[in-house]
Amino acid sequence: MPLKEKLPDSHLEENLVTFTNLLRKEGIPVSTTETMDALNALQQVNIASREEFKTAIQAALVKNRRDQDYFNRLFDYFFVSPETRAREEKKADAYKKEYESSLDQASKELKFKGEPLQLSSSELAQYSSLPTEQRKRLQDFMHKTETGVNVEEQFRPILESVVKSHLRYCRTNQNREQKEGGSSRSHNSGAIPGGGGSGPGGGSAALSEIDIQEITAAKLPEAEQLLQGLSKKLAIQIIRRRRSGPRSGPIDLRKSLRDNMRYGGTIFKLKHRPRRRTREQIVLLCDVSASMKHYSTFVIHFMHGLREAVRDLSCFSFSDDLENITPELKKRGGLQQLLDRVVRRSDTWGGGTNLGLSLQTLMEKYPDLLNSRTSVIVVSDTRTISLDYAIKELGRLRDQVRRIVWLNPLPGELWPEYRSVQSMSALAEMWPCNTISQLEAVLSGRL
Amino acid sequence: MAVNLTELKKGFDQVGYICNESTALTVFLTLSLQKPLLIEGAPGVGKTEMGKVLAEVLETDLIRLQCYEGLDETKALYEWNYQRQLLRIQMNRNLEQDQVKEEDLFSEQYLMERPLLKAIRAAERPVLLIDEVDKCDPEFEAFLFEVLSDFQVSVPELGTIRANQIPVVVLTSNNERELSDGLKRRCLYLYLDFPSLENEVRIIKARVPEVADRLAWDMARVVARLRQQTDLRKKPSIAETLDWARALVALKRDRLDGKLVGETLNLVLKTRADQEYFREEIGPEGIEDMLRRGGDGGEAARCR
Repeated sequence: MPLKEKLPDSHLEENLVTFTNLLRKEGIPVSTTETMDALNALQQVNIASREEFKTAIQAALVKNRRDQDYFNRLFDYFFVSPETRAREEKKADAYKKEYESSLDQASKELKFKGEPLQLSSSELAQYSSLPTEQRKRLQDFMHKTETGVNVEEQFRPILESVVKSHLRYCRTNQNREQKEGGSSRSHNSGAIPGGGGSGPGGGSAALSEIDIQEITAAKLPEAEQLLQGLSKKLAIQIIRRRRSGPRSGPIDLRKSLRDNMRYGGTIFKLKHRPRRRTREQIVLLCDVSASMKHYSTFVIHFMHGLREAVRDLSCFSFSDDLENITPELKKRGGLQQLLDRVVRRSDTWGGGTNLGLSLQTLMEKYPDLLNSRTSVIVVSDTRTISLDYAIKELGRLRDQVRRIVWLNPLPGELWPEYRSVQSMSALAEMWPCNTISQLEAVLSGRL
Repeated sequence: MAVNLTELKKGFDQVGYICNESTALTVFLTLSLQKPLLIEGAPGVGKTEMGKVLAEVLETDLIRLQCYEGLDETKALYEWNYQRQLLRIQMNRNLEQDQVKEEDLFSEQYLMERPLLKAIRAAERPVLLIDEVDKCDPEFEAFLFEVLSDFQVSVPELGTIRANQIPVVVLTSNNERELSDGLKRRCLYLYLDFPSLENEVRIIKARVPEVADRLAWDMARVVARLRQQTDLRKKPSIAETLDWARALVALKRDRLDGKLVGETLNLVLKTRADQEYFREEIGPEGIEDMLRRGGDGGEAARCR
């Protein structure tokens, strides 16, 4: 029975379309066909049951595990019972009233010569959010200014400008503290009230959108698991022998003749020599210099994941020079032991970057690792001393290996500002990867 | 073939496939909407089993296409029996009969059906299990989703063949690589996780009825504990739990202890590195301690 007949007065279809638009805004791709599938699915279930309703549209709309976290949060936010909605609306009204009265109060407190300062509502809100002490200090400052010698009405723009810059400064400080305190969220913070927290609903989806350097200690175990999964994917994708040209090798004449003897000598079926299949070698070069300090933990997680997945993996860390850390990675043990072995005992960790020298060392000391079957993955922000020397060495390396894939944690919008990025991206396949989801995009689409 | 949700759940119970409500509901929707079902999840959670069980519940044929790198249309859809065609030409020449006509050579008797064509032409609605679809090449995947959207194929010499019955299609993936949006769009999606502690006990008892209650609970707790270890290369699957249960029944044991777990460890942890890791990080003592405390399943619940 069509939904319209089943529920003549409901706005279910409209609501579902709005919900799919919301999913799209959050980056979950939902096609029209899938929306129709969801509607068809709803005809088959008891829509009075919240669980059945949710399962039905989830099966039709969300097609990977990662997006299910987002879906769950959006669903709980969007499809609420009338009672909950009424409660939320009441709360929102109360909040709105409180907000407006706080703006009024702020406007009253920030006066000069009896007239309020010309401040925007966001500036007034910023003032209201300040601790009492800070507000008091600002009021004192205004009072002193107002009662100062030769302070006239013309002084108003200057005072406004001072107050505005002070509020801006306070906002920047608050933002930084929030980030350090672990409450910073991705671009979609606030999109879902109550959904951006650190509870189970927070999910890996949000985590994968955060700049890696902002991942807090509390979220590290989750990020570690995510990264391990991703590095395993990367390993499988690269190792997978690619199909190029005919699957079989050249014709094997002897075998063809022998095999076709049963047909009286007529060649019915050609036999081919099997193509030689070779395993690829992966060489991972991780920049662990001071400029990459924020990404160091990420790099370690990444290597840890790759170690689990790939046997023919050689790992090197580099900053001032190259250091072979393959033996450390091959040792059994958790991530903490690995961090201890690689970071604390490493000679290269946190130094300056000399990519040219590091590459030269790689080519001189480990020539056996570099051949036409080798894929080199570089994780670095490209910042190095002796850039021209580094470019020359990178060119030399490129001639020796099958491909160089460069994962750059520098945000894409900053790339044009760096000559090193311009030059090196001409020699390697370079992809931005300052968030886990970017890394995943590189893995799923471009490698 | 038309089943309702209650019958489907009952069918699953009868064949010993224990699953949660949302899994059963998603499968039910697959059957009623006639859409393919894409199942993802860790190895050993019962993805392939779902295809087999569905065939059993629906009392129909299971047609299985195992995907691998290099799989192409000739292995998946159809191929002409070239040897037989050539033999026919030769025979005709030797017998000096009328020259063989081209249409005779490209007739049904020379057509070798592969799983996809077999499923499309089946008289009764079969279950088509396309296993480990993430292992096939992207080119084949593109071909596959064309077949799955229309359920018809064109054989140039024979024309278009339409499905008599739209098969029940179950695709499984270990998520080794991201599948294309086109394929995913055509399917309903189900993510299978490792079962909850209670469901694991039910599975053990359904599949190995001889197992003692206490033993089943002990095993489920130990397995849940092992699956929590993120550093294990391969987490124990349900199939391995069942093998372990059978082994313990054969050893006439009705409860677990740390020593026994240590002795039979190779049935659940299949690599030397994992076994060493277990001894270093948990050890028989750790298991003994956990079993003595008689965990309430909270640990397992967290790993879900």
